[in-house]
Amino acid sequence: MELQAIYVQILALVIFAIGLIVAVSRRNVFFVLMGVELALNAVNLSFVGFSKTLPADASIVGQVVPLFSIAVAAAEACVGLAMVILIFRNRESVDADTYSNMKG
Amino acid sequence: MISLGLIPLFPLLGCIILGAIAIISSGSKKGPAEGFVGTLAVLFPALSFAGVALLAFNMPDAGIRETVCNWIDIPMFRVDIGFLFDGLSRIMLLFVTGIGTLITLYSIGYMHGDRGFARYFAYINLFLFSMIVLVLSDNLLLTFLGWEGVGLCSYLLIGFWNKDLKNCQAANKAFIVNRVGDIGFLLGMLCLVTIGGSALLNYDALVNFIQMIINGNHLEVVVPVLSVAGVLFFIGCTGKSAQIPLLTWLPDAMAGPTPVSALIHAATMVTSGVYLLARLGSMFAILPVVLDIIVVIGMLTAFWAAVAGLFQNDIKKVLAYSTISQLGYMFMASGVCAFDASIFHVFTHAFFKAALFLGAGAVIHALAGEQDMRKMGGLLRKTPVTACVMIFAFLAIVGFPGFAGFWSKDLILERLFMNCTMYIPGFTIFGTEVPSIPLNGVVYAVGLATAVITAVYMGRLIILTFFGSYRGSKESEEHIHEAPAVMLIPMVILAFGAVFAGYLWADSIGIKFFAETLAPVVGAAQAYNVPAVTAHLNPMIFAGLGTIAALLGMYIAYKIYANARIPAAKGSSAPEGGKATWTFLFDSLHKYVGIIPVNVLAWICDVVVDKILGAAQWTIGAIATILGDGAATFQVRKVRLQIALSILGLIALVAIVLLTGGTF
Repeated sequence: MELQAIYVQILALVIFAIGLIVAVSRRNVFFVLMGVELALNAVNLSFVGFSKTLPADASIVGQVVPLFSIAVAAAEACVGLAMVILIFRNRESVDADTYSNMKG
Repeated sequence: MISLGLIPLFPLLGCIILGAIAIISSGSKKGPAEGFVGTLAVLFPALSFAGVALLAFNMPDAGIRETVCNWIDIPMFRVDIGFLFDGLSRIMLLFVTGIGTLITLYSIGYMHGDRGFARYFAYINLFLFSMIVLVLSDNLLLTFLGWEGVGLCSYLLIGFWNKDLKNCQAANKAFIVNRVGDIGFLLGMLCLVTIGGSALLNYDALVNFIQMIINGNHLEVVVPVLSVAGVLFFIGCTGKSAQIPLLTWLPDAMAGPTPVSALIHAATMVTSGVYLLARLGSMFAILPVVLDIIVVIGMLTAFWAAVAGLFQNDIKKVLAYSTISQLGYMFMASGVCAFDASIFHVFTHAFFKAALFLGAGAVIHALAGEQDMRKMGGLLRKTPVTACVMIFAFLAIVGFPGFAGFWSKDLILERLFMNCTMYIPGFTIFGTEVPSIPLNGVVYAVGLATAVITAVYMGRLIILTFFGSYRGSKESEEHIHEAPAVMLIPMVILAFGAVFAGYLWADSIGIKFFAETLAPVVGAAQAYNVPAVTAHLNPMIFAGLGTIAALLGMYIAYKIYANARIPAAKGSSAPEGGKATWTFLFDSLHKYVGIIPVNVLAWICDVVVDKILGAAQWTIGAIATILGDGAATFQVRKVRLQIALSILGLIALVAIVLLTGGTF
């Protein structure tokens, strides 16, 4: 049986929602980062799912874009983790709620 | 045959080399070797003089034209760097480079021991370069380059001793007043370009254009616009040649070293205005209104400056006012289309004025910097050579028969009477017809009266300086010494010029060499204007009247000053009381007409632009800050909450777009 495109989208939506909820509700900054990554990959999944609906020769386009975004996400994860480590060294804390000195 | 481009190149090279020496040696305590620098400084002007002399003797009648390269080439505007060597530029160049070389030589003695020795000679070379470019160029734009260069160098040299604030102020004044005139020059060029495109900036093209207009009878179409151009060019000339109303910078320019004054007054700078009038002679000849303005301005300037010269106590100031007065003569001559006579007076004036200034410099040198004539006297026995040079030059400037000034000044006076076509138009008053009154007699009479006053103030200068008994302090008397040979040689050569330069055009004894040289350049322009007096008058009458004027002036000076008790000098040498009012008439005029309105404008700009606009800017900035502060209170402390809020906002936006069907 062919996999229906709508199920892929539902799965992506669920993963995205979990990612967002994790990012918003957790105080530990590592979990926030993980949530963001999860949401990002949910979008990638959504891309691939939609590309299935296209004709075969055009569907390759929809699969290339997630490859790019995976590469970019890898770089972004490096930078993000590095920032988290630096902030941690400064503030001795991984609690996102204590990072408030940007407040005007 | 040498290239024309070499002539300005020599002084430019000299300027660059000497400038490099000045910069390199600026760190050392002693400064560069004066002998070496002095030799270099004289070498380059002398080379350029040699080049001019070589060209002058081999010049074909039509002149030499040479285009070096293209300068500006943009759509609608094309100017070449080109040189034109004809009768007019030949004469100008001969005395610019010749007298320039002599003055440079003299400066070696005068500037001995000065810390800025090399710098001084770099400026002098740049000055000569600018003047040569001004005279030699074949189009107005390149002339303007030289024109500006001359102004810049006068600024640098007048303020040469820049430790003294007064010198710097004098330099600023010279530069700024000249800039006012330069605007006239620029706008005049703009007028010409408007009429006939950039090609008209070329002198040859301009002459052809004027000739075409005359032949085609299109005068009434072009004359109004050309008159505007003529007046604007004339304003430029008044700035450079120190005529009313832009003349106040010249007496102040005495703040510079004396050889610089000689250079500015004799060979370069002030003659450029007269040169430009002669160069554009064919254009001015068809503009009767502009010519009348020139005559009136020249007449007023000559008379006013001569009277102001009577009141001065500073020996250099007397000479400064006498230069302005003589320039007035030259302008009067240009105003009656006697361009050859005006250039002839420029030529003879260059010799005797340079001699007078260098002589004054030698006197100042002998008296260790004293410039007040009330503290001089009896120098004839102490400095005999200087005194002889000054007396010869004095006889030349007052127009004593046989001396240079006699020939040129009488020629100008004669032309004034014969050619001046100014008149008061006839009018009807209470039914009676008043016929039109020709004014050539009036102009001539003012010229003659000025000649008398010239003789009086110059006689006063000579008597106060060289005759009587010494009025300075006893200890300074012992130090009086004759100038060194390096200063005396140029003075003596110039004194010879002051005696004999006039014989190049001795009209009464039939020598017309000078007029024939200039005829190819200005002849057509002069032939265009019909003389006012067609009746033949014996030129001897004019010569006789001129001689009587000179003798009368000298007699008056002798009567008044020879046995008068000179009041002891107190304080500054500036004139006081009514004399000061007359002398500084135009300074106060400038103050009320020029400086105060500009200051008011500056104040308005300050208040409106700086204060009010500044306040408006500040208000807008303050509003933005307040709004920002308000918006910042929405910011909460928690990052997570903020992310949640922004997601909510995004959801709200998407919901709105979806629900309204994308109409927003």
